Amino acid sequence: MLTIISVSVIFLGLLFYVVGTTKITRICDAAGIRPHSLFMYHGSFPAILAVAPPLVLLSLWVVADDIVFNMMLEARFPEGLEVEGRQTILILLAQIRNIAEGIIVGQPDDWIIGLADTLSNWRNTSDTIIAGITVGLSVICGLFGISRVKPEFRARNAVEALLLTGLGICSLIAIITTIGIVFSVIFESIRFFKLVPPLEFLTGTVWNPEFEGAARAGSGQEGMSAYGSIPLFVGTFLISIIALSVSVPVGLFSAIYLSEYASKRVRGTVKPLLEILAGVPTVVYGFFAALSVAPFFRETGGMFGLDVASESALAAGFVMGIMIIPFVSSLSDDVISAVPQSLRDAAFGLGSTKSEAIKKVVLPAALPGIVASIILAVSRAVGETMIVVMAAGLAANLSLNPLDAVTTVTAQIVTILVGDQEFESAKTLSAFALALTLIFITLVLNFFALQIVKKYREQYD
Amino acid sequence: MTDIVETIVNCDGVSVFYGENRAINNISIDIGKQSITAFIGPSGCGKSTFLRTINRMNDTIEGCRIEGRVTVDGQDIYDASVDVVPLRAKVGMVFQKPNPFPKTIYENVAYGPRIHGLARNKSQLDDIVEKALTGAGLWAEVRDRLQDSGTSLSGGQQQRLCIARTIAVEPQIILMDEPCSALDPIATSKIEALMSELSNEYTIIIVTHSMQQAARVSQKTAYFHLGNLIEYGDTKEIFVRPKDPQTEAYISGKIG
Repeated sequence: MLTIISVSVIFLGLLFYVVGTTKITRICDAAGIRPHSLFMYHGSFPAILAVAPPLVLLSLWVVADDIVFNMMLEARFPEGLEVEGRQTILILLAQIRNIAEGIIVGQPDDWIIGLADTLSNWRNTSDTIIAGITVGLSVICGLFGISRVKPEFRARNAVEALLLTGLGICSLIAIITTIGIVFSVIFESIRFFKLVPPLEFLTGTVWNPEFEGAARAGSGQEGMSAYGSIPLFVGTFLISIIALSVSVPVGLFSAIYLSEYASKRVRGTVKPLLEILAGVPTVVYGFFAALSVAPFFRETGGMFGLDVASESALAAGFVMGIMIIPFVSSLSDDVISAVPQSLRDAAFGLGSTKSEAIKKVVLPAALPGIVASIILAVSRAVGETMIVVMAAGLAANLSLNPLDAVTTVTAQIVTILVGDQEFESAKTLSAFALALTLIFITLVLNFFALQIVKKYREQYD
Repeated sequence: MTDIVETIVNCDGVSVFYGENRAINNISIDIGKQSITAFIGPSGCGKSTFLRTINRMNDTIEGCRIEGRVTVDGQDIYDASVDVVPLRAKVGMVFQKPNPFPKTIYENVAYGPRIHGLARNKSQLDDIVEKALTGAGLWAEVRDRLQDSGTSLSGGQQQRLCIARTIAVEPQIILMDEPCSALDPIATSKIEALMSELSNEYTIIIVTHSMQQAARVSQKTAYFHLGNLIEYGDTKEIFVRPKDPQTEAYISGKIG
């Protein structure tokens, strides 16, 4: 249904384009004048009007129809129906929706089947109505557009204004999505913090959601705070530090080599190869870490008499570092290459050696950009999940020893939300609180990165 | 033709190639100590390229090759044993567009003395910086703001900062590659006055597009065309009685 409506609206748009250009051609030919704008714009103006508003309306309806129907259905629930909490209502509504689509499980109550029928009827009616409204709106807007088409009409300006609005809306979508994500996480987090005090979450040093029931039921483990997120953030911190101590030196030095020393041919070959690293899926890094790197570290550690866990922070951090190298090297290479040649000339003209010029002039000038690339790498390391799940383990140890198994915030979120979960439990909700904290941290990091980049842009001239 | 008192730069049969292209064609020239020599000629005539052979700045350009002999102070600067670092300390360079480092004014001037180890301590370095800025006629304007960024200065000030930066390493020769082409007339006249003053101590070779500038500041002028040195002699002679018809055509504005 949606497809048919959309296609007919677009077809109407094409039609209005033809009508618009024909009209302006005819008027101008008759009067022997030139219109203010090109013919194309006189066709585009009614066409855009005929297509854009109806499609916006249609997509709004696609988003809104379930909400509207749910409200209407809820109003028709039988009197005296006992419902416990919002969750049960949602389940009932889902059941009605399924039946309306022909999926019947077990023996539903009669009133439910009745409401499902009602829902199907509503849907059919609403489809017809929305089709009528959309096509009608399209015709009305298109006709309005056609009525404006005159030789003196500034169609180009009007079309450009419409396009500008379209561009603005597109950029808004990213912002709105971000806000939506943040809010959905915030609301779930609030529910979590009703069950577990924020202070415990932020300062507790034991993370053990599995024993939550036992600890809270008072089984003699009262002192055990099961939702202390500190071990997770320490684990994240530890692995990120390891990853950065691999990726920053390697990435930065390869960037310096590529931008300052390498010949054009070497640069043209090596840079794309390095960037391939960024294209390898993280799962692949994950089993590289778990199957090759972790055993290697364990055996090497064993030779020196060190006790290395088979899933260690070191292995995960090391592989994550390799994954991040292209982020650091590619961005740093760009900012180093962006340092004006005139500064290098000045340094050489004063008798600097190549390395003096790089150390004392080029790198300081590129420093803000390099720092920004490192901060982006940090966000990347903090958010990385798969490698940790596969190579660092899931044990929430509070440890700064890189040879121990640790876990990170993202890895915990994954384990909490994988599989069947009670949605109301503190365990499940804790994932949202973790996500919120993580989002906050990465937002702060990105904010600083952007500030530094901004400062960098003002560096020359 | 006034005699050159003492030759400091001697070029003998110098040719410069960019890959296969010959940018400079067999040029021989002697440049006298503590004077101002101007290189003039239409765009692309090779005057900047030739200037850059004198401190081997062309080394930084990929695919650039030089034939012939260039001596500075009697030393063949393209000899395999020559280190470009002391050479460029001896032959400083000021560029077309002011290019101060994005550092403080103080650090801009102190950069050269630092890398060449000219100061043993902070107070010596302070002295060098003050002397260089004074020499470049900038001290009075910046003495209270040495810690401001060099890029915060005006264009003319920036160029004088670049000159200060160059003379801070006490070169014998200063190469100037169209130092005023990005400046307004007032800043230009300040730089020109500064050049005359500096020529008491340093040898200055300036590439310029402006014939008036060459006539105002230089004692000797060399006219380049398509990679060839067409005419070289006293500035007065060249501008009043050019010997070569090509020079005359350029100076009278027929080509350029």
